[in-house]
Amino acid sequence: MNHNLELKLQAWVDGELSPAEARGVGEALASDAEGNSFAAELRSVRAAMAGQEMPRSVPETRDFYWSKIARQIEREAPTPQAVHARPLAGWQRWLASAAGFAALACVLLLALKPFAPPTTFDEISATGEGMEAVTFHDQSAGMTVVWLQDPSQVEQPASDAMPAPDSEQGTVEME
Amino acid sequence: MSKHHDKSACSDVDLVGWAQKGDMTAFEELVGRHRDKIYARAYSMMRNEDEALDLSQEAWVKGWQRLVQFQGDSSFVTWMTRIVINLCLDQLRKHKRQRAESIEAMEEESGGVERHMPVITPNPTEGLERAELRVRIDRALGQLSHEHRTVLVLHEFEELEYKEIAKRMGCSIGTVMSRLFYARRRMASLLAALKREDSR
Repeated sequence: MNHNLELKLQAWVDGELSPAEARGVGEALASDAEGNSFAAELRSVRAAMAGQEMPRSVPETRDFYWSKIARQIEREAPTPQAVHARPLAGWQRWLASAAGFAALACVLLLALKPFAPPTTFDEISATGEGMEAVTFHDQSAGMTVVWLQDPSQVEQPASDAMPAPDSEQGTVEME
Repeated sequence: MSKHHDKSACSDVDLVGWAQKGDMTAFEELVGRHRDKIYARAYSMMRNEDEALDLSQEAWVKGWQRLVQFQGDSSFVTWMTRIVINLCLDQLRKHKRQRAESIEAMEEESGGVERHMPVITPNPTEGLERAELRVRIDRALGQLSHEHRTVLVLHEFEELEYKEIAKRMGCSIGTVMSRLFYARRRMASLLAALKREDSR
């Protein structure tokens, strides 16, 4: 029996399978002597152990045992609510104030800055692995130019070649 | 109710309610009532008296600190048992980090000798008195690895499902199933050996 089947059998014994899976295992076991033996062994251990934890007594007197707990409680948290009502530490208070001021400053900056779209945009050059794109936009002329180029497909005569001093891909340098 | 009232006759629910309001004497009564059970669970997992004692006391301190979170969804002792189990699992993880990777540890997942053991029949615990059965199970548990013992304690004593055990032990459900399978096989073999030993 392979290990996956063994684990499935165990899940069946433990009632961890869906009803459909459990039915399947039950049917398979009808003609599987080895599987039945495994299932019986797993069941016997499970049944033997259920609720059979050995009872044990604390090897100290009640008062002594409690005194150690009480001392630690007094040291750490005299009341149960103390854990939740714990005040912020000094650095946490400082950080909270700083974060508040920063958020306020951001809001003021955004509110005071007039919205003015730029009249011109710089050229943008994007170089991917296979494709190169260059854009130019002039608001006053109302014009946008997008230049797409696959460097591997372009034959570059010496006189027409775009300058590409820094890159094998031929990055365009604009002034 | 007065703090000086005899609390031994009060229910856990009442005691928890007073303790949540800061009544230490109510909490002391809860500790007195359930300390053995919490200690026994810590011992089952750690198999060491000093560690079980320390962890059980730590659990009570944690219990007090978190008492306002207790909503009564389970019994108070079940809630406390979960706290001590988590502390034991943390402690076992620390042990594991300190332990060198041994052949035994590597065999945990693959089953080691349990893979090749014959199926144990008949049932080695058949006909045993309850007290004797407990003693044998306890002796056998003491001979298991931490991983095998933990998964058995969580499944057979705490009655947790695979998913919950995996969450608590910080491993996959597959690992839990595999550990549980080999732990049971080993347990069956140890119980059979104890039976043979006692019948000589």
